[in-house]
Amino acid sequence: MPAPEGQPPRGPQARPTPPPLPPEPDATVYIPPRSARWPGIDPDVQGPYDELATQMMPRILDGPRHTEIGERLPAVGVDERAEPEAEPQPAAKKQSLAKATGRMAIATMTSRITGFLWKVLLAWVATLGVLYDSFTVANTMPLIINELLLGGVLTSVVVPLLVRSQDDPDGGESYTQRLITMAITILGIGTIASTAAAPWLTSLLMDDSGDANPQLATWFAYLLLPGLLFYGLFAVLSAVLNAKQIFGPAQWAPVVNNLVIIVTIIAFALVPGDPTIVPTTMTDPQVLVLGLGVLTAMTAQALFLVPALRRAGFRFKWNFGLDERLKEFGGLAAWILGYVVVSQIGMVINTRVLTAGAAGGASIYSNAWLLFQLPYGVIGVSLLTALMPKMSRAAADGDHRRLVGDLSYGSRLTTLMLLPVSAVMAVAGTSIGVALFALGKGSVEDAERLGQALAVSAFGLLPYALVMLQMRVFYAMKDSRTPTLIMVVMTVVKIPLLYLAQALLSPTHVVLGVMMVNSLVFVVGAVLGQVWLWVKLGNLRSKRVVGVILFTVVASVLGAAAAAAAGMLVPDFLGIIGGAWVTLILQGIVGMGVSFGVLMALKVDELAPVTRRVTRLLGRG
Amino acid sequence: MGTRAQRGALAPGGVVGDGRYRLLAQFGIDERAGAHLWRARDGQLRRDVALTMLVGDPADPEAALLGRRTLERAAHAATFEHPGVARVLDVLSLGSGISSSEGLLGIVVAEWTKGTDLIDLVAERPVEPGAAARMVRALAESVDQAHQSGLVLGIDHPQRLRLTPDGRLRLAFPGPLPDATLRDDVKALGSVLYLLLTGRWALPGGPPALPPAPKSPTGRIVPAKSLQPRVPPELSALSVRTIEDGDHGGIRTSAAILRALDHAAEAAERAKQAQAEPAEPDGSVWTTKKPTKDKARRRKLALGVTALVCAAVAVLAWLGMMAINFFQDDGDTSGPPVNLADPPAQQQDGGQNNGNGQNNGNGNQQTQTGRPVQPSEITVYNPEGEGDSPSDAPKATDGDPATVWRTDLYKQQLPALKRGVGLLATFDESIDLSKVRVIADSPGTEVEIRTSDSPNAPLDATEVVGQGKLDDINTTISLDQPVDSTHVIVWVKTLGGEEPELNSEFGEVKFLPSA
Repeated sequence: MPAPEGQPPRGPQARPTPPPLPPEPDATVYIPPRSARWPGIDPDVQGPYDELATQMMPRILDGPRHTEIGERLPAVGVDERAEPEAEPQPAAKKQSLAKATGRMAIATMTSRITGFLWKVLLAWVATLGVLYDSFTVANTMPLIINELLLGGVLTSVVVPLLVRSQDDPDGGESYTQRLITMAITILGIGTIASTAAAPWLTSLLMDDSGDANPQLATWFAYLLLPGLLFYGLFAVLSAVLNAKQIFGPAQWAPVVNNLVIIVTIIAFALVPGDPTIVPTTMTDPQVLVLGLGVLTAMTAQALFLVPALRRAGFRFKWNFGLDERLKEFGGLAAWILGYVVVSQIGMVINTRVLTAGAAGGASIYSNAWLLFQLPYGVIGVSLLTALMPKMSRAAADGDHRRLVGDLSYGSRLTTLMLLPVSAVMAVAGTSIGVALFALGKGSVEDAERLGQALAVSAFGLLPYALVMLQMRVFYAMKDSRTPTLIMVVMTVVKIPLLYLAQALLSPTHVVLGVMMVNSLVFVVGAVLGQVWLWVKLGNLRSKRVVGVILFTVVASVLGAAAAAAAGMLVPDFLGIIGGAWVTLILQGIVGMGVSFGVLMALKVDELAPVTRRVTRLLGRG
Repeated sequence: MGTRAQRGALAPGGVVGDGRYRLLAQFGIDERAGAHLWRARDGQLRRDVALTMLVGDPADPEAALLGRRTLERAAHAATFEHPGVARVLDVLSLGSGISSSEGLLGIVVAEWTKGTDLIDLVAERPVEPGAAARMVRALAESVDQAHQSGLVLGIDHPQRLRLTPDGRLRLAFPGPLPDATLRDDVKALGSVLYLLLTGRWALPGGPPALPPAPKSPTGRIVPAKSLQPRVPPELSALSVRTIEDGDHGGIRTSAAILRALDHAAEAAERAKQAQAEPAEPDGSVWTTKKPTKDKARRRKLALGVTALVCAAVAVLAWLGMMAINFFQDDGDTSGPPVNLADPPAQQQDGGQNNGNGQNNGNGNQQTQTGRPVQPSEITVYNPEGEGDSPSDAPKATDGDPATVWRTDLYKQQLPALKRGVGLLATFDESIDLSKVRVIADSPGTEVEIRTSDSPNAPLDATEVVGQGKLDDINTTISLDQPVDSTHVIVWVKTLGGEEPELNSEFGEVKFLPSA
């Protein structure tokens, strides 16, 4: 009576064999397309050495393979233990991966914190004024040029090929040599040309009708632009290391960079002479110390990777020539290059408008933007890192239902986590600015301006995170065209609004307007992304997302109101900075507490996994 | 009841069948037979399988008999092969593969069917009728084949079916009820069609997750068409006629269903062509989107939304900037006079912590003038009249060019009513004035710089030391030679604007001493 037992499946209809056990043969071929790097290519990140840590986040090649179990709740409910117990081997693997991810998170956090620290330090030492502005503008130049020369190509072509080349007979050695040779050549030429054109670049980026000091920026540019070579090289080398599954050094290198800059800033503060006085010659010790110190930092960051590369058995040899495989990627690269170019145009205009305003515009903007991004960097990125492999897999399988499910889930979680944060940011913005930037020589007015810039743009946090999520979905679907077109629309909207801000607002308030325009542009981007995803994928279950957004808005408004009320309780005798800290902490706790309390009272389903995750995290920590 | 007592054993991660099958996830329960439907992992062949587990008390002879009957029928079905039915791989019964302590009467092991639950499929909205007909047609074929060889499939429970990725319905959890008949299979086909079209289950014993089909007062099932207007009448009638045991033209065989489905499909096709709508792309056979929203229309709509959003954001941006201006002005006038940075004469430190910084201006600043000197008092100098917003005078030296002092509105140009009006700046210590910088958006205005010895001196007692025209926003009036004085008047000689609406305004006035 029993059917054949243990007998191999018969006939042509034999069901496909179950997914093979790791290492899966297709794991190395499968490249989650540009997954981790995209949020890094942000047009508005200025001086983001630390951003590279997230940009170069490892592609998790043999991460837990997506299975249908536990994906969504079946009618009867499913237990989470099902998967690990059924497949003990992957479970073990998963755990080690989790540990590695944890270590990476520590490195990323450290580099973010040190990166932020040096920016704050510089504000304390040099004030958010003309010198900091000029330095900021000069400091973005290598990044812009690197982005134009390498950024797009690196993500779209080189990294995928690099991963694929690991299967070459020589383990990708000759491809890597060719790649590094090419990078050094391009970067070398770019470095020489851009350094020679430094005055022109400064005049492109700076509007000298305002308070900005193009002369000073040019001096800094002369000192910083040679760092382009090392900065670009760092990007390439960390991609090489990542392809070899070595993640640590590339994660810690930005920390080295930041530490060198911090030492530089300390030296800058100790150099005789008032650091707030605008230098009059390029050989002024202040200019030299800051410029050469940051150049050293860029160099150290790249050189930090060399020993790791040697340990991995890689020997560099000049090897000129193009790889045949590069040609396949032409179309994809063109669109991504378009994205990079358009976003850089937006950034140039942004800087011009800022420098046309009152002094401190560029530096206030850059720091406000950094603060603005912080919650996304902590919460959003970690959520995305968990979701992204699933979404890439679903997209690769052409399973739109699952892709939409993950997208909707990701949007809802992002909303829940970020909206209360942005509500608190809007209320406590000024306190944040004063608490962080009014120390040292920093003036309270500038710090307040920074905080106000943060407050007026806080509403853009969620749209920003959604845009990043949507862009990733487009790229996961191998559609590099739509993100570029969305970027074009965003830039087209942004440029006139920036000039409107310049025309309508007084020079001191231009920076507020610019931050607000940026946030609004992300609103445009988020709506466009959602609409065009709908064109491609059909029903996106947007209703649920909108529902969660409405609930969260209610909760956040209540939280913000409570935070504002709490802010009034802070006594005056604490002094400006002490008061700001107390206000900030009090408003943060009250605002978040009330928001999440209301959300829990409203019984929002999506909160359950989050609380579970948090408790699990606490348990592990 | 025994079944309840044993349920605890059936949890994800548990093993059944002598430890060979590890349970992964439950996909439903067919309550009528106590059949629990699970996805499990075959530990020996390392593949996923679908388990139909008959839960019951082995000591109950009647239950055991019924269970045995189901297992026998499933074993028969093992000989049947069709893409619409998951192949039965094994049948475990008490004593052969199952011990009496497991609380199970038997297990039907079938190959695992990838794809989607029916309940999930209809959870959001019913399936588009054309796609529903195609799905059911695939299932009807397998029923027809099985019936020809005398087999009952037992498809009369929605959780036993799954939708494969290529859009076919498939019996994923075989194991028919002990008393199931061929007629039950046919009725089930109608009920599945009804489910896909309306999201409701029309036969008794459906899963609690699905709402039952509504019935009319006469006890008959409400046609699918009256629940979902989009359903074509052919399909609506087909489903109801199949489900009902009734008299008038009931459909009783699977072959008849196949014919009727083909008919309905043709009719739908014709209707579609009549509407001259472009055919759906192939990939969307079983998507749940509404048929009217095809890609081209969506794209147009998306473009419209794009334009709308851009416009809305532009308006929002403008409003936001107005708000910033408004609030900031407010804040500046009500707050203490902070020496905010302003464009032409910029200090690094905002003037707060480095008050004595003589040489900290940037390169833009002319070297022959020093830092602007803040007057200790500024009032409206109006020796020949009244008004002209005396309370706003401090706004001209508050460091914010956006806040202005403005004259009244005059109908005739000066000196018709009076010779002029001005702002009087008083300095505690005598200032060696060399330039006055006026930031004002008031083209046409002509001003004179006058000095005086006392605050209340008549106009004739003051001395003109310089003059200029405010045609640009930013005007610097250089004095012929520096003048030492404690009272400086910025005298409006000619108003800006055109008759009959004349006035002048100053955003900011700076008094620059010679260095």
